Amino acid sequence: MIKSSSRIMIASIIVIVTISALYITFPESINAQLEGNIFATHTGGTISTTGVVIDPVYTTTTDPQYTEATVEFDPMEYLREFNYGTVSTLPDGTTLREFTIIAEDDQIMEVSPGIFFNVWTFNGTVPGPTIRATEGDIVRINFINNGAKSHTMHFHGIHPAEMDGVFEIVGPGGGQFTYEFEAGPVGVHPYHCHVMPLEEHIVRGLYGVFIVDPKESRPAADEMVMVLNGLDMDFDGENNFYAANTIPFYYQNNPIQINTDELIRIYVVNMVEFDPINNLHLHGNLYNYYPTGTSLVPSVYTDMITLSQTERGIIEFEYKYPGKYLFHAHKVEFSEKGWVGIFQVNNNSQDKKSAENVDYGS
Amino acid sequence: MEVSDKKQSKGKLIASGIIPFAFLVVLVVYIFGPGSDVLDLGVPLPEITMEKIDFVDSEIQVTVRNTGPIPVEIVMADINDRIQPAAVEPDGLLERYETALVRIPFAWNDAEPYRIGLTIEDGTRFEKEIEAAAPALQPSLELVGFFALIGTYVGIIPVMIGLLWLPFIKRISKQKYHFFLALTVGLLLFLAIDSIEEALDVSEENLAASFNGVLLVATVIVLSFLGLYYAGEKLVKRAVASTASSRISKPVAIALMISIGIGLHNFGEGLAIGAAVGLGSIAFSTFLIVGFALHNTTEGIAIAAPMSRGKGVVGKAMILKLAALGLIAGSPAIFGAWIGGFVYSPFTSVIFLAVGAGAIFQVIVVIMKWIRSEGDKNFSSAAVVAGLAAGMLVMYLTSILV
Repeated sequence: MIKSSSRIMIASIIVIVTISALYITFPESINAQLEGNIFATHTGGTISTTGVVIDPVYTTTTDPQYTEATVEFDPMEYLREFNYGTVSTLPDGTTLREFTIIAEDDQIMEVSPGIFFNVWTFNGTVPGPTIRATEGDIVRINFINNGAKSHTMHFHGIHPAEMDGVFEIVGPGGGQFTYEFEAGPVGVHPYHCHVMPLEEHIVRGLYGVFIVDPKESRPAADEMVMVLNGLDMDFDGENNFYAANTIPFYYQNNPIQINTDELIRIYVVNMVEFDPINNLHLHGNLYNYYPTGTSLVPSVYTDMITLSQTERGIIEFEYKYPGKYLFHAHKVEFSEKGWVGIFQVNNNSQDKKSAENVDYGS
Repeated sequence: MEVSDKKQSKGKLIASGIIPFAFLVVLVVYIFGPGSDVLDLGVPLPEITMEKIDFVDSEIQVTVRNTGPIPVEIVMADINDRIQPAAVEPDGLLERYETALVRIPFAWNDAEPYRIGLTIEDGTRFEKEIEAAAPALQPSLELVGFFALIGTYVGIIPVMIGLLWLPFIKRISKQKYHFFLALTVGLLLFLAIDSIEEALDVSEENLAASFNGVLLVATVIVLSFLGLYYAGEKLVKRAVASTASSRISKPVAIALMISIGIGLHNFGEGLAIGAAVGLGSIAFSTFLIVGFALHNTTEGIAIAAPMSRGKGVVGKAMILKLAALGLIAGSPAIFGAWIGGFVYSPFTSVIFLAVGAGAIFQVIVVIMKWIRSEGDKNFSSAAVVAGLAAGMLVMYLTSILV
């Protein structure tokens, strides 16, 4: 009697252990199948799946119901957004441009779909706002540090030593400092935090673009800002993502709309850390390059420029033929990690010849 | 009166058994519930383990398990550190120990190394390196036949050849016979250690730390040993009790136990061979098969040694029994190769290898007892010591060939 019941017990234990071992080992074959989803690969093929597609297509939602992100950043908006400040005229007739910049270091940004990262921000975004002035204007920045760490603003350009944002550390929790200097020289310059450890303060997102226009303005153009940057998500001293304007693959999934025969001017600033160089290649076209934007005469006509840390310049081009054109780092590792985009060139007017009418090879 | 007293004391007994358990439940509930904040110190780090990577038609498939202390979400896949669109089935949100299948469309090249990366929601990237991409084996008749052939070569045929030593062992003196029994123990001891090493290797390489690989192997070995020991004792007792009428005499019962033990070991060996082919980590050479075959011939001797003291002459019935025992010991290599090649899972491999090791330890105990009861009630005779040493040495030397 006792023997047989112990036998039954042993047998049932064996059965239970076997079934649970099977369940641990092959859960996917036991789980019920869901309905199908289809997605496209980078090479254009389509795959059907019963699961969830994980493809870095960024959306700008910050609805707390769906995301823990606190940063609202729209790369398409940032692309063409220039901040001229609150303008007033000083007694001597000089233009004064006042800006308020608030630094924070507790923001959470959804840097790629489903990936959340603690970024450090100027005015709540990475990059910070694009500050724009004309040569000779007085730029006054009311800087407030609402972060938990010390921060500063260091502008590249010409200014007095005490406005350099290096030794005048602005303390956390509401520390303030007013940067005031004459805008110059003409060109495109970065600004960034200059508190040690400097690499960390930069790669976490404390940087932005400062444009100084010549007094006699450049020719009219469709103007854009592209900050080439990277993100080191796992703090191993290597970037996991690269991008133009922070979000990997954004302009590939959301092509930038431009027109044929219209001058395009891009202010390009390389803020990538860790990797010594970055570069920019444009498809189906070449561009005039103005290093640092300090000269009004281009130095080179090319489709490839190489940029070191904070190296920057202005590129200008026009597209002759409509269609889709890639632009990306020709250090292809960077483009495969997000630094890639598309210009969707639309036909500017009907009477101009379109690509279909061109007789190639004639 | 007495009955109710008994009932009362039984009730008390049950209560005294349950009360500490109830307190334990309360403690666990408290720690998980209201007390969880008090103990919430430190930062739990997420961890995932890529347990299996299959290279199928223009696609790389990763079986991933959440082996960390907190839930994670798989949000990105990459090949060689280059981001790829992918799909995760059924979905990317993994609770503890949950698995998912990540499908990454990728035109991979045969025999080239790949690093597969998965990124979770906090940006942490996990990587697994594959030395040489090889297409996942799809079950086909041809492959089934191929594995059956390999299993036959390394399992059945060598064991059968080993059994052919039976007439020889039958004729030798008692001392020499003890030598052969001890030799068997040596051989088996080596096999057991070999299985444990293999199980530990697989768990080290493919199982997450949270499985406690070493303790898992140890636990399974002990359970397998105890289970087979219990069953074996029953079998031998029954054989002894009905010696006159039964078809199974004590030597045959012992030989059967040894066959089962070796069979379980060969199943694990088959698994390892099938998995190695399936994962593309080795190219199967004729040399390797010859090595396995030589190595496993010694297993036949282990079965033949106790059989040689059976009462029957070497007749037709005896030959049939021997053949059956050889099949029991050798054929699991075929099943192991099929399972290892087609539905490989590191977890099951570790389990089966450990079961095999436990089975062999059980066989060792049985033979030691046999030596003791057969002989002079001691293990220190020159024959036994020499046999053990020779067994280990022979196995070591043949293992160099594998």
